[in-house]
Amino acid sequence: MTGTQAGAGTQVGKRIIGADAPVIVGWENIGKVEGGPIKQFVFTWFQPVMLIAAILFWYYAPNWLAVASTAIAIRLGWMVLLLGLEWVNPRYESWQLTWKEFATDAFYVALGMTFLRMVDAYIGDGAIIAAVQGAFDWSKFSWFTGLPLLLQAILISMIFDFGQYWMHRGMHNWHPLWLVHAPHHYITQLNINKGAVGNPIELFLIGLGIGGLFDFLPRAFLLAGAIGMTVAVYQHINVRFNTPRWWRYVFNTVEHHSVHHSQDYEATRSNYSGTWIIWDRIFGTCVDGEAELLGMEGGRRMHIGETMVFPFREGWRDAKAAWARRFGSDRAKGAAVATPQLEPAE
Amino acid sequence: MSEPSAGLASDKPEPWGSGGGAKAPTGFPAIRLPLIEAIWRARGDVPLDPSLTNEEVFARLDPLLRTPGTTIVTEGEALIYAKDNPAAQDKLATFTRGRMWIERAGQGAVLRFDLFSHALLLCFLAPLLFLGFAQMAVAINDWEAASGAATEEKKEDDKPKPVKKLNPVDEFLGAPAPEDPNKKKDEKKDEGRHSPIEGYVLAGIFFVIYLVGRWLEPWLARRRLRAALAAPPPA
Repeated sequence: MTGTQAGAGTQVGKRIIGADAPVIVGWENIGKVEGGPIKQFVFTWFQPVMLIAAILFWYYAPNWLAVASTAIAIRLGWMVLLLGLEWVNPRYESWQLTWKEFATDAFYVALGMTFLRMVDAYIGDGAIIAAVQGAFDWSKFSWFTGLPLLLQAILISMIFDFGQYWMHRGMHNWHPLWLVHAPHHYITQLNINKGAVGNPIELFLIGLGIGGLFDFLPRAFLLAGAIGMTVAVYQHINVRFNTPRWWRYVFNTVEHHSVHHSQDYEATRSNYSGTWIIWDRIFGTCVDGEAELLGMEGGRRMHIGETMVFPFREGWRDAKAAWARRFGSDRAKGAAVATPQLEPAE
Repeated sequence: MSEPSAGLASDKPEPWGSGGGAKAPTGFPAIRLPLIEAIWRARGDVPLDPSLTNEEVFARLDPLLRTPGTTIVTEGEALIYAKDNPAAQDKLATFTRGRMWIERAGQGAVLRFDLFSHALLLCFLAPLLFLGFAQMAVAINDWEAASGAATEEKKEDDKPKPVKKLNPVDEFLGAPAPEDPNKKKDEKKDEGRHSPIEGYVLAGIFFVIYLVGRWLEPWLARRRLRAALAAPPPA
């Protein structure tokens, strides 16, 4: 997608992107890998080669190896490798990982693996699906298991991402949901663990999927996980890639996601999907480009404590203001109107 | 690394006092727990060119310290700073409060620093939180086992499950066939709904992150101070 220059910002469709903060629009304008032929080669082909390798592994791995614990072990090694890539070939120096950022990110990742998982066991999608499954005869979907494995995996991944797309778009368009999502938009740089940074309620909501409703083969779920691990993981990575054109047409990339996290209000109302940017293309929210300056309120960093209480604090303030507007005295109404409202960075 | 001389220290407010510079109330002995304080404090010194005046030294440090959210005050001979949630790329982001002063002895001079880190302290405490989550998992498992909720669930699946077959395309390509869902099961013990292992592993990981940070961050701070002092500040 190419934009036309329109004074401050760039016109994309009916919207002006980059009026509030710098955003690069259009693939021809984004940065390229700098360095010799080997570096060029590695950072051009790394993503597709790893995707194919992961698919082949999960396609042919014997049953005793094709289990969740193998996936966890691979994921751990994979994260270490990606941290190495961030070190060697950062996209922006201003996003470089520091000890404090790493420790902070690790806290959110760890919270997701312990506390959130425990809560999820009771009210997560698994529990909801189990309840719904009891009410209907879902066996009519069992023909899914007869489809080719790769097709099943792509279906699982696309169905999950479709749900995530609308949940995410809802978060940017409905104030109560925005309040739980806002802390994630206070991140000022992207690194591979930044996907886990946010209020736990949001992380719970975004993890809800409807894929579990349908009957797929276990191997297809592992294959879908492999697609997620080798595609969606790059949305928060601080690595400069020469991403192939076909890849960035179909899949979400860090370029797309940096636009979504930009300090520019209009730019954040784009690129909602996690893995399949094709959903954004279909629903008219895709902006191809990249941004370096990220965050809210001019790039104010939000610490862990505030991240935990933000939705409740802001929700309480908004509810009080709304109450005052409706039932309060004239003076209170005036004060409520004057109170600066937290603007959804939709 | 050495302690500031008693005379000098008594004039200077502690960096972790309120507003970055409140003195301990007179007559109330300041609590000094050097071993425990080492968890979150970094102290050290950087050699100085003795020909530099105090003002010149602090002017060289100014670009390093003057970042958004940082307040800097000079109290007597000491420079005291406090950072309110510094930006990720702030060179001293880990040390949210600090005090620096110059000591001259004979021909030589050093800049001493005494830095305080919320991040190191919280990272040191983080393993406790994750050990707590692990214990919570164990407690919930025990409680659920005792209430019998988990065992009842298991019973219902007595009827044989249909054996699933691969699509002919996958058979042709040689993907392993799915396991018979009726075969296994028995070897799997009921260990409860939650696993405490993640909590234990993460507690260990945070302890390692703390150790790395406790060594790396003071080292980096010292290196950055040294670099800032080596050259005059840009005009």
